[in-house]
Amino acid sequence: MSTAVLSQDTRAVGRGRPGVRSTLTAGSSLGLGVAMVWFSLLVLIPLAAIVATAGDDGWHGYVDTLTNPQSWAAIKLTVGQALLVTGVNIVMGTMIAWVLVRDRFWGKRLLDLVIDIPFAMPTIVAGLVLLGLYGPKSPLGINVSNERASVTLALAFVTLPFIVRTVQPVLAELEADVEEAAASLGAGQLTVLRRIVLPSIVPAIAAGAALSFARAISEYGSLVLLSGMLPYHTEVVSVRVLSFIEGGDRTSAAALATIMLGVALAVIFALDVLQRRVARRG
Amino acid sequence: MSIEINDVSKRFGDFVALEDINVSLPTGQLTALLGPSGGGKSTLLRIIAGLEKADSGSVNIEGVDATRMSPQKRNVGFVFQHYAVFKHMTVAKNVAFGLEIRSHGGLRPAWTPRGRDERERIQARVDELLKLVHLSQFADRLPSQLSGGQRQRMALARALAVQPKVLLLDEPFGALDAKVRKELREWLRRLHDEVQVTTVFVTHDQEEAMEVADEIVVINDGRIEQVGTPDSLYDEPANDFVMDFLGEVTQLGDLRLRPHDIEIGLSPDLAGSTAADILRLTRVGFEVRAVAGTEEGQEVSVLTTRAHARALGLEEGARVWLTPASGAATVPAMRSVLVG
Amino acid sequence: MVELTAPVKWTVRLAAVGYVFLLVGWPVVTLVQHAFAGGLDSFRAAFADPDVSHSLVVTVEISLWAVAINTVFGVGMALLLVRHEFPGKRLLSAFIDLPMSMSPVVIGLALLLVYNGRDGWFGPTLEAHGLVVIFNSPGMIMATCFVALPLVVREVIPVLEEVGDDQEQAARSLGANAAQVLRRITLPAIKWAVVYGVVLTLARSLGEFGALKIVSGNLTGQTQTAPLVVEQKYNNFAQGEAYAVSFVLVLISVLCILVVSLLRPKESQP
Repeated sequence: MSTAVLSQDTRAVGRGRPGVRSTLTAGSSLGLGVAMVWFSLLVLIPLAAIVATAGDDGWHGYVDTLTNPQSWAAIKLTVGQALLVTGVNIVMGTMIAWVLVRDRFWGKRLLDLVIDIPFAMPTIVAGLVLLGLYGPKSPLGINVSNERASVTLALAFVTLPFIVRTVQPVLAELEADVEEAAASLGAGQLTVLRRIVLPSIVPAIAAGAALSFARAISEYGSLVLLSGMLPYHTEVVSVRVLSFIEGGDRTSAAALATIMLGVALAVIFALDVLQRRVARRG
Repeated sequence: MSIEINDVSKRFGDFVALEDINVSLPTGQLTALLGPSGGGKSTLLRIIAGLEKADSGSVNIEGVDATRMSPQKRNVGFVFQHYAVFKHMTVAKNVAFGLEIRSHGGLRPAWTPRGRDERERIQARVDELLKLVHLSQFADRLPSQLSGGQRQRMALARALAVQPKVLLLDEPFGALDAKVRKELREWLRRLHDEVQVTTVFVTHDQEEAMEVADEIVVINDGRIEQVGTPDSLYDEPANDFVMDFLGEVTQLGDLRLRPHDIEIGLSPDLAGSTAADILRLTRVGFEVRAVAGTEEGQEVSVLTTRAHARALGLEEGARVWLTPASGAATVPAMRSVLVG
Repeated sequence: MVELTAPVKWTVRLAAVGYVFLLVGWPVVTLVQHAFAGGLDSFRAAFADPDVSHSLVVTVEISLWAVAINTVFGVGMALLLVRHEFPGKRLLSAFIDLPMSMSPVVIGLALLLVYNGRDGWFGPTLEAHGLVVIFNSPGMIMATCFVALPLVVREVIPVLEEVGDDQEQAARSLGANAAQVLRRITLPAIKWAVVYGVVLTLARSLGEFGALKIVSGNLTGQTQTAPLVVEQKYNNFAQGEAYAVSFVLVLISVLCILVVSLLRPKESQP
């Protein structure tokens, strides 16, 4: 799956920005109109509602909500764990992508399929599945339920495929002759990896890391059964938001939600920039 | 001798790429490995470079047995058909790559005195090379901003930067369009005259090989057909294949020879001349190509000058007499055996 | 190509396989073990439970609607984005990707704020005209559409770009009108991409949890979906049923992955 919707530079053709050329016909304009109405009703207006509601209590109210001790603890926990898991994913994800592309062994196909399971599995079931091996009845004797580690575990589970799937196609497309050229110039294996292969996949890693981070910050379902959702201990931002909603305090919920929304928007922006930089390399 | 190949063989599964190859390439010479696609020439080149391992036989480079050496250690420069540019590095960094590897992989920080010296030395050499290949003004661009021909020149500069003992080029101009190909061909010849490094290049284009190389090794089906200068290959082909591959061939009676080696006249006054009628006449520039049909139904191609054709008053339907020129390179045609 | 030395190669291989096995593989196996712990008892209990069977029906219904709507939207959007230029195109394409990075809780909240019947932006007006969105199917369908929004678009766009519009232009020069071009040239060309997108959307829709928890109200026997029923049963000490339903959901999602994987030509195999 491509990491962003459009793989080519979609900047308008033609000299200068003013007056972007439009090639819409009557039929496609109507189609665009209908699509935009649906898109607005579904996405744009609801997102605007979050931003608007977050500001219901004014700027001070907003800041107070965020700095409320329990909420602040949730934010710190969520961001910290998301960063940790993203770091783990950068290492493991790249290794797994390498194995999938350049290694050959029995069962590799199975590995490829299993990696997609976290994508397709309902998040509540993910929590259940992790409880099976790392909960009270663990055959390994490891019980992380209600511990901080359970948050890390759950986030690692749901974000597993992201970096793997962004790096895999890029790695597969690397041409052998570039690495041979480096070898003919005297570069040993480690140098080839460091100076030729790695720089080629760094943008893909970065894209995957951005997606992984955003997903980790917003995760909810897998934490419900596994982490116990204990305030100050294993309560993440999304859980806190839900408590606010159930308690009727929509303003605080929206305030916290803007953080997650902000991260999502930042990720989208970062991916777009990354993609254009890679396109420049040709 | 710069490169010595002894009894090299290589197969890929069931496919025999090279069989018992023996050839010596002198130091400082520009040699072409010429042959049809799939004939084994690229494989041989890659074995010299160490990018492939021969199944048997040995490779000597400048007196050193390089058969088991990794490509890193052989000090050969390699230029690839599709340039193999390092996409994420500027042109200057591409060219500097081999030099940086040799000075501790470029890891020495620039703020140490030795680090700074190294960087300056490398920079100077890169500038020198970019000037050599006329790419100085592109030093800070990315390869994606260069044309195909420019990228290949950069690849050449990159390969030459580390002063290799041998320069190997694998169909270097194959991915470029015709005009750029011709330009770079001449340019390679001039570069070789200036830099004087032993060079081997692979091509399937006989015109290219004839124009550029000091010596040509014709390889077909994993075997060497002939080794010689362009002239000797053209004038004295060892067999049918070499004759066919290196130029146009036509058949007059039992002889296979070049169309321009057939004398065309209006009367049978030369001994051994054959009668024929001109079927087709085409004028291309100052050449005139005629296809003449003999009484036995053979279609013979004849190449002559415009002046000569006009002097004879050649036109379609005219009766002419064809004679092989004295001293022409001929190969007796193999009588085809019809399996009936 | 760089060939790793044997010890390094084995270390990396073991690390990768081991990590995936311990993180995903074995845990999934424990689920299967728990689901079949009493033979088929858990399954019988689950499917005999009206709450469960109702939730499965609701889940399927909502998902099918979401798949249908998203497919139409996805194909239409892909065509617009690839074959046309218009102001704001890049911004739009970026926003379509947004749901991939968004929290389902935020999505649920967003829809709640706009469409809830008491004090939403549009909710009261809509309900006055008889259209109840929140705590009702329309809202659930919308939430599911939101979370799966980019899936069809992202599959179709690369294919459309690669195919190029040469064939479409040729068809037009032969006299085909827009609808004929669409039906006979464009749609067949993106057929498989649409299939992949549909399967992925289906898997995503069946499994949605957080957003539906908010938007559906989690009303047992009414708007509760299968993932929500899993949570409820587990918390109410009917763990067997929770495992049984979970197994069914995992089975379907694994089937979806298998279908896509088997149908798709091998891209990244060396």
